[in-house]
Amino acid sequence: MATAPTSEAAPPRPSRLNPWVLGAGLAVVVPLLAVLVMNLGRDPHSIRSPLVGRPAPAFSLAPVGGGAPVSLDSLRGRPAVINFWATWCVPCFEEHAALAAAARTFDDVQFLGVVYEDEEPRTQEFLAQRGSSYPALMDPEGRTAIAFGVFGVPETFFIDARGQIVDKYVGPLNRGTIAALIARAKGGSP
Amino acid sequence: MSRLALALLALAAVPAVAAAPTTAAPAIEAPRSRPLSGPELDARTNDIGGLLRCPVCQGLSVADSSSSMARNMKAEVREKLAAGYDQEQILAQFERSYGEFVRLEPPMRGVNWLVWFGPIAVLVGGAGVVVWAVKRSSRGSEATGSTSSDLPSRDTLPSDRRLAAAVRRVRELAYGWPGGIPPTAGTGTS
Repeated sequence: MATAPTSEAAPPRPSRLNPWVLGAGLAVVVPLLAVLVMNLGRDPHSIRSPLVGRPAPAFSLAPVGGGAPVSLDSLRGRPAVINFWATWCVPCFEEHAALAAAARTFDDVQFLGVVYEDEEPRTQEFLAQRGSSYPALMDPEGRTAIAFGVFGVPETFFIDARGQIVDKYVGPLNRGTIAALIARAKGGSP
Repeated sequence: MSRLALALLALAAVPAVAAAPTTAAPAIEAPRSRPLSGPELDARTNDIGGLLRCPVCQGLSVADSSSSMARNMKAEVREKLAAGYDQEQILAQFERSYGEFVRLEPPMRGVNWLVWFGPIAVLVGGAGVVVWAVKRSSRGSEATGSTSSDLPSRDTLPSDRRLAAAVRRVRELAYGWPGGIPPTAGTGTS
């Protein structure tokens, strides 16, 4: 026969995986998996405060019931616990007794309450009923709350003797947590 | 193809970049802009409020929210603008308290570049793949020299003698060609 047959009519080779397709797939899937795995243990609702490890924002606030303003600078030299709270906040009721007791126990730590979006007469009434062992400061226009990056109440900041924020705690505190976080603010291991 | 490879490489680098600490927000220095007042101050307050996320709302900007927290933040923006701070300084100040979360538009830095330009990179990469695939398939059809399929023409016969004889016999039976030879074919006979 004159014409040469076309040998390409042979049956197709068994299909192999295209390395480019495989590479592209892996390049998309592997980073996504890595991000997923890295964030498995993270609570998506908790946003780490950028202030932790930094100096606490300066403030100077008048205490409830009158008196000289309390400023951040006046606390220098000893650890502080700054609790943002309000009388309309139910979890704040729960932690109030624990905080008041801790303020009496840890007399080398300055406890401060900053009243968040609340009125002075109501705050005074609340404290008269439930007792208080540390100053409550009024925060007009929420300046200090914004400077501390407060999202809601209760939120509590633990500050060391140099004025650095050591920890931020969101939600109601109990005695055990307060003691552990104060130990950290004092520079000891928790 | 190299563009695609680059895009894939960039994607693969995501976890590495995400793991790196984010760069700190720039410090607040002296006001960089001129003090604003009047309608311009109102307009700019609203503009910047639209770039700030209200911390107590669900995905609302400070400009759109009527919460007291948003009102307080707006008041602070207004005050800063009146004092001559520019937009970036004001946003950076809120970012120091609340973290990058407070910005509704992610700033162009670090892993955020991916948010801004990732989709464009993927689009360009995808277009590259399409162009490459189209080019390859058209080159493939040029190589065979014909636009039609790989079917043998009516003149071709297998090189195997017995098979060729069988094909001729079939052609004779099917088409009535004497000897299985196409009527107009000048060649094809041995």
